[in-house]
Amino acid sequence: MQDFAHKILHDGPGAQSLFEDETLETVWDFVELGHTPTVADVVARLGDEARVRAVSLAGFITIAGDRISLTPAGKQRARDVVRRHRLAERLFADVLDIKDYEADACHFEHVISPAVEEGICTLLGHPPLCPHGKPIPKGACCKLYTRKLEPLVHSLTDAEIGALLKVTFITSPGLQRLAGLGLVPGATLRLQQKLPAFVINIGETTVAIDRAVASGIFVRHV
Amino acid sequence: MEIHAGTAARKSPEERVALVGTPNVGKSVIFGLLTGTYATVSNYPGTTVEVTRGNAVVHGRRLECIDTPGINSIVPMSEDEQVTRNILLAERPLTVLQVADSKNLARALLITLQMAELELPVILDLNMVDEARDRGIRLDTRALGRALGVEVVRTVAPERKGLAELRRALAGGAAAVPSAAVRYPKIIEDYAGRIAALLPPAAGPGRALALMVLSRDETLGPRLRCALEPAAIETVERLRGECERAFARPVGPAIHEARLRRAHELADAVTTRIAASPYPIMRILGTACTHPLWGAFALAAVLLGLYAFVGVLGAGVLVDLFEDGLFNGYVNPFLTSAVQLLVPTQFLRDMLVGPYGVITMALTYAFAIILPITATFFLAFGVLEDTGYLPRLAVMVDRIFQLMGLSGKAVLPMVLGLGCGTMAVLTTRVLETRRDRLIATFLLALAVPCAAQLGVIMGMLGGLSLTAFAIWFGCLGAVLLTAGRLAALVVPGESAGFILEIPPFRLPSARNVLLKTGHRVVWYLREAVPLFIYGTLALFLLDKARLLDTLQAAMAPIIMDFLDLPREATTAFLIGFLRRDYGAAGLHALRDQGMLDPVQTLVSLLTMTLFVPCLAHFLMMIKERGFKAAAFMFLIITVVAITAGGALNWALRALAIPLG
Repeated sequence: MQDFAHKILHDGPGAQSLFEDETLETVWDFVELGHTPTVADVVARLGDEARVRAVSLAGFITIAGDRISLTPAGKQRARDVVRRHRLAERLFADVLDIKDYEADACHFEHVISPAVEEGICTLLGHPPLCPHGKPIPKGACCKLYTRKLEPLVHSLTDAEIGALLKVTFITSPGLQRLAGLGLVPGATLRLQQKLPAFVINIGETTVAIDRAVASGIFVRHV
Repeated sequence: MEIHAGTAARKSPEERVALVGTPNVGKSVIFGLLTGTYATVSNYPGTTVEVTRGNAVVHGRRLECIDTPGINSIVPMSEDEQVTRNILLAERPLTVLQVADSKNLARALLITLQMAELELPVILDLNMVDEARDRGIRLDTRALGRALGVEVVRTVAPERKGLAELRRALAGGAAAVPSAAVRYPKIIEDYAGRIAALLPPAAGPGRALALMVLSRDETLGPRLRCALEPAAIETVERLRGECERAFARPVGPAIHEARLRRAHELADAVTTRIAASPYPIMRILGTACTHPLWGAFALAAVLLGLYAFVGVLGAGVLVDLFEDGLFNGYVNPFLTSAVQLLVPTQFLRDMLVGPYGVITMALTYAFAIILPITATFFLAFGVLEDTGYLPRLAVMVDRIFQLMGLSGKAVLPMVLGLGCGTMAVLTTRVLETRRDRLIATFLLALAVPCAAQLGVIMGMLGGLSLTAFAIWFGCLGAVLLTAGRLAALVVPGESAGFILEIPPFRLPSARNVLLKTGHRVVWYLREAVPLFIYGTLALFLLDKARLLDTLQAAMAPIIMDFLDLPREATTAFLIGFLRRDYGAAGLHALRDQGMLDPVQTLVSLLTMTLFVPCLAHFLMMIKERGFKAAAFMFLIITVVAITAGGALNWALRALAIPLG
């Protein structure tokens, strides 16, 4: 992460914009925990004091004495960066099952468009927390979600009985045996019951599975 | 899952035909119709766990038919699937008669496509066309035949419909290697080609093997080590690694998905669906059996029905009729006087009709006590099997089995163990991991009484009180759960997770149930009666040599002091190792003679139930799990049985519970 941060902060086009993102993110982290960061705090993480001070010239932060606070525009931008970062963490950790996702998440937060961000958020079912337990700032799609209560992809354990569902991905240990029964990504299934074990219908095939296997099958409504 | 005495002699068949297909599609029924050899038929996946062979003569040609365990793919997931895969690779030349479930065509075609890769000639039999029709599924057989490049016939096997066409296709040598093929992603095709080029032609169909290697089929290892130099194996593994890195997502699932997609394309092109009645009665019943509430009622009804039929009718009414009425009333007095008249020496007379006589003990136990019980049990069990209730039972008890480190799937061998433990050990092959098979084998040997034994036990406990029955059942359940829980903690490895296909609920055919019961009873008598006779002879000789007294004296500290039982009970436990039901019958006789009080009855029954399995069962454990594991289980079981019996004896006497 150190190497990467160093590289993107100091080289190439758009380096200033990336540095602004990083600065705002760092300030957000402190504010979230109830602290007011000093210039020294931020410089300790990102290095270059002159560039940190330059962010204030762009109108995103104000520096009073050596204390830093976010301007309204800075707050909005910090919120978006943090949201993208934490959504990326969730995506890498939960769906792709990657252990060292941090560096990639740092990279990701700068490059994805609002449409991709919304897609990921919806795919993940509008998660409230990042893998470290920090809150993910809500986006427009999440506010819509609280009205519709309908995540796009969820585990089979959260599905309704009788629902017709399409398998998006499977992370269960019995992946290959499920595949042998026709249960693969893209297959359509109907959930017959959840207790005492899960029973699903795939075409004319009926399969019983336990909760552990079911929790690894992710589906969306047809 | 029966153990068949060798089927018809293997005299140079003109052709070898393997019946292959997904589980529970009727391969064994068709096998039976073609060969006249009986292979067990039930309505749940995994009935056939080992291979049965038989000869069929169709239009003058003699074919050797092989009934194989069902497979979902040629990449095996369990031991029984591996058996089939090995036949497909090793026994060539070979024709495949693929039996398909018409209502699940895509899954069948997945296998047909793999037969094409294995370069095996195929005849495709669309079985159960009646069930497909009831569900509004119409298949265009001719179009399917053209698309696949193979002969397609339609059958309804239990009704023998389409059998003539099937025979004609087999006789005419109509089998052809399917021309339909799967196109895999380019990277996979490239590497499959490069790996196939390394394999010698003798190893088998190169492309199919290469795809198995890329699917990470570990069971292929020994085969490759046989066919290839170590250096070549290294190259193959290197290529596989390269392919996985180049493809950047799991290769095995991608191969499977490509096959499945093609199978669905082919199936969709020949399938027409029309609306069918959405709530047929059998489907409602089938769904009810796994429902959390109705399923519990169904389970209670099944248990009650079993108790009424086997416990009351079999072990009660019929045993009384046979034992007191027929044998003690007519057969034994008649044979005893005949022996007294005809046999010259007292020694031989005692051997036949004495207290340890072959007729008065072995045959009376076998035919008067055990036969009515096993026959009623197998009859009831056959009905349950053929409806498809057992996999639904697995759904109901999955959570309880999870406590024991197993999944609901293990209920199949366990319930079969109520029929005969020896058979059941063989059926543990349907479980996916070695750990699951070990735990299931152990629990079967420890705490699952076989029907014959169960019948005797129920008869004796019925004579006591409901409390006695509840105590026996409770102790057995407690031991089963505790031992299972401990085994789950001790045995290394992970449980496979519960994934079980549920077959349609069907009305059982009386013909199959009767046929199956008949076969099982005959099989049972063949297994049991000789051992009953040997056991009795051994007891007789021990008695004559005055060794029985010595043995009883030697066992006295355990039997008499610890378990508080009469010394004669030693005999029952001794013969109990030959056959547990025989041991139970021995206790039954002791009780009849008034030598066991209620507490002793209960203690001896619990100990006998938990006691080491019979000889045949033990031999099967050695065969399936290896000597070390089997011997270790034997040791643990002996200790647990005696400890539990002793503890129960102490508790019953300390608490002075009235048993009736």
